[in-house]
Amino acid sequence: MPFKYFGKINFTPYTKVDKFADYLQKGKLMGTQCKKCGEKYFPPRADCIKCLNDTFEWLEYSGKGTLHSYTKIYAAPKGFEDIAPYTLGVVDLEEGGRLISWIKDIPDNEIKIGMPVKVVPRIFEETEEIKLYYTIGKP
Amino acid sequence: MELEGKSAIVTGGSMGIGATIAVALAREGANVAINYRKHDTEAKAVAKKIEKLGRKCLVIKADVTSYNDADAMFKQVKKEFGGLDILVCNAGINIDRVIWKMSEKDWDNVINVNLKGYFIYNKLAAAHFKEQRSGKIVNITSINGLRGKFGQCNYSASKGGIIALTKALAKEVGKFNVNVNAVAPGMVMTEMAKNIPSEFLQKAVDETVLGRIATTGEIANVVVFLCSEKARHITGEVIKVDGGQYI
Amino acid sequence: MRVGIVGIGHGKFGNRSDATVQELAFEPFKQAIEDCKNLRRKDIDALVVGSVPEYHMQRSLPGVVAEYVGMNPKSTWLTEAACASGSAAIRTAYMAIKSGMHDIVAVIGVQKMRELSTEEILALMGRVGDVQWESIFGTTFPGYYALYANRHMHQFGTTKEQIAQVAVKNHYYGAMNPNAFFQKEVTIERVLNSDDVAYPLKVFDCCANADGAACIIMTNEDLAKKYTDTPIWFEGLGSASAQMSVLRRPNLVEIPSAVEAAKQAYKQANVKPSDIQVAEVHDCFTIAEIMAYEDIGLCPKGKGGKFIEEKQSYIGGKTPVNVDGGLKAKGHPVGATGVSMTTEIVKQLRGDAGKRQVSGAEIGLMHNVGGIGQYTFVHILRR
Repeated sequence: MPFKYFGKINFTPYTKVDKFADYLQKGKLMGTQCKKCGEKYFPPRADCIKCLNDTFEWLEYSGKGTLHSYTKIYAAPKGFEDIAPYTLGVVDLEEGGRLISWIKDIPDNEIKIGMPVKVVPRIFEETEEIKLYYTIGKP
Repeated sequence: MELEGKSAIVTGGSMGIGATIAVALAREGANVAINYRKHDTEAKAVAKKIEKLGRKCLVIKADVTSYNDADAMFKQVKKEFGGLDILVCNAGINIDRVIWKMSEKDWDNVINVNLKGYFIYNKLAAAHFKEQRSGKIVNITSINGLRGKFGQCNYSASKGGIIALTKALAKEVGKFNVNVNAVAPGMVMTEMAKNIPSEFLQKAVDETVLGRIATTGEIANVVVFLCSEKARHITGEVIKVDGGQYI
Repeated sequence: MRVGIVGIGHGKFGNRSDATVQELAFEPFKQAIEDCKNLRRKDIDALVVGSVPEYHMQRSLPGVVAEYVGMNPKSTWLTEAACASGSAAIRTAYMAIKSGMHDIVAVIGVQKMRELSTEEILALMGRVGDVQWESIFGTTFPGYYALYANRHMHQFGTTKEQIAQVAVKNHYYGAMNPNAFFQKEVTIERVLNSDDVAYPLKVFDCCANADGAACIIMTNEDLAKKYTDTPIWFEGLGSASAQMSVLRRPNLVEIPSAVEAAKQAYKQANVKPSDIQVAEVHDCFTIAEIMAYEDIGLCPKGKGGKFIEEKQSYIGGKTPVNVDGGLKAKGHPVGATGVSMTTEIVKQLRGDAGKRQVSGAEIGLMHNVGGIGQYTFVHILRR
């Protein structure tokens, strides 16, 4: 599964961590761990920023976390006008690391910073092309 | 055992090709649920065969043209088997007439059972399979869906429709790791076929290049293959199992 | 040997569809030379251009600007650091002069933003975070600052009214600045009722994309008095970087590069935040100014809302900030902003700011942030 299938619009079709897309399509959220010093990364990275080692292995994340911040985008950039307005959330993942994605199935008035959330891998269902993503919802 | 731990639904599984398919899936390790409309005795006999193989079998009364019956059947299967991995749509009827003698009812009944029935079961299976990111659907069609058959405007239309449905659905669910294929038998030796006049049977044999007509087991073999991991890269395909009856 | 500013120039910011990028650059360059005494263009030995190339059809901006203003064959190059390109260019010029490599350097910050459509700009600016993991979900520049705002409000109780007050203040002063894009005051009701952009930020919380240019001419201590009676000296220059991605920042309520750059500048200049008498900070969004007060130490962490509520950043308050209208009223031609901020501090320290003068200002500070905080440059100037 090419990495370019990840996101509504993908800007980085080639990456050392492209296996992320394979796992995501299978329903798994994966980060990386440095083989030398054990440092964990989400989002995944191939090169360890701590010890400069460049070998890693994949680690599964549960998707559980807390909401760190959010915003609702009304003025959307090119390519996202059809889904505007949409709510972005920043999640601190339970195992460490952070991600940003769309909040789905939580009404505006229930969104609170600090609330527990779960990040779920998804595939766009209504397009013919394969587009992988994840969303933030109630645990 | 290719299908160890899998759960399957086979429509029209009380007799003929469907019954053989149900037992064949069970032989490969699957738990199988079959529906019947009238033939409960035959259905129970199939269940006995499956249980003898050490697998579970659910026998459920359901009219394939009823969405509610289908919905209830899926719910019950998921509950009792703990899940669902395979759907084989096989239930079908034929009411042969030349078109000027074919009533609206003759048309509607065949389309409803053969095509709409497949739509209902494919829809329910697809919804479940896409959530679990895996699943296999096999739709039994016919070589008469690939070619036109005299006296079968309704039947050919329904079987041709199944092929198009299979292909369209394959495009929708591929990204979720779900395979959708069709098997197109020619003439098959079933209990019902034994009642066909011998000239017609002989005509069918003459059409084949192998000089014989299929057993239900030969159809079931291909269905089992399509439900296995060996066929995981096959989707949107129609496999004829007709001894070369229509090439 | 100190480095000083001897001449300044500032063009009109706004919708400059009347000029090409090099024609825009010419205006403040001419002004800056005329602002000096006895300076001839051929005395200038290098031209540094601060700009962000992605917005222009014209490639290789320093080339076209140097030719148009008549600087050929002198050395020229581009310095880019997103919205901090202007002050990054100034830092490079400082290095050139301090090392003795060049004696007199002109810095032009220039930008045309409006060659692209609003959606294109939103998309381009939205890619100022991590495009691999963020832009794929449709992040925008205001969206990032909205994430900061929501967190700041949650953690410190900062209110929407306090945040909106920044726009009120900056438009109040912008109305007195003939070079600003917007020259009308606004009420707090107008700000709070404007259209949503990225919750909680509304149209009036966001600076406008603008075209514009500004210029300063810098030289060493030995030559400065030859070209001006009022040289303004660089006392402290701080520069730092922070993670590109908000996913890897330690928190969302401060900009670490700003905190670090300010520390460096204060250390080099040997002054404290309370010594700063006038400041220009990077108010790309209202919340950014509130975070800036805290990041550069004008008030304790979390108290930025209170600082403006008490009018401490108005003239007459503890530290007047952005009394030329800031990015909010001037507009934000990204490459030009850092240079524009510097011209304002120079004006203030010379006593030339007219109605907007902070009386007796001797030490001023400029805080220029790039992108969503991946670069910050802080310069402290003294009369």
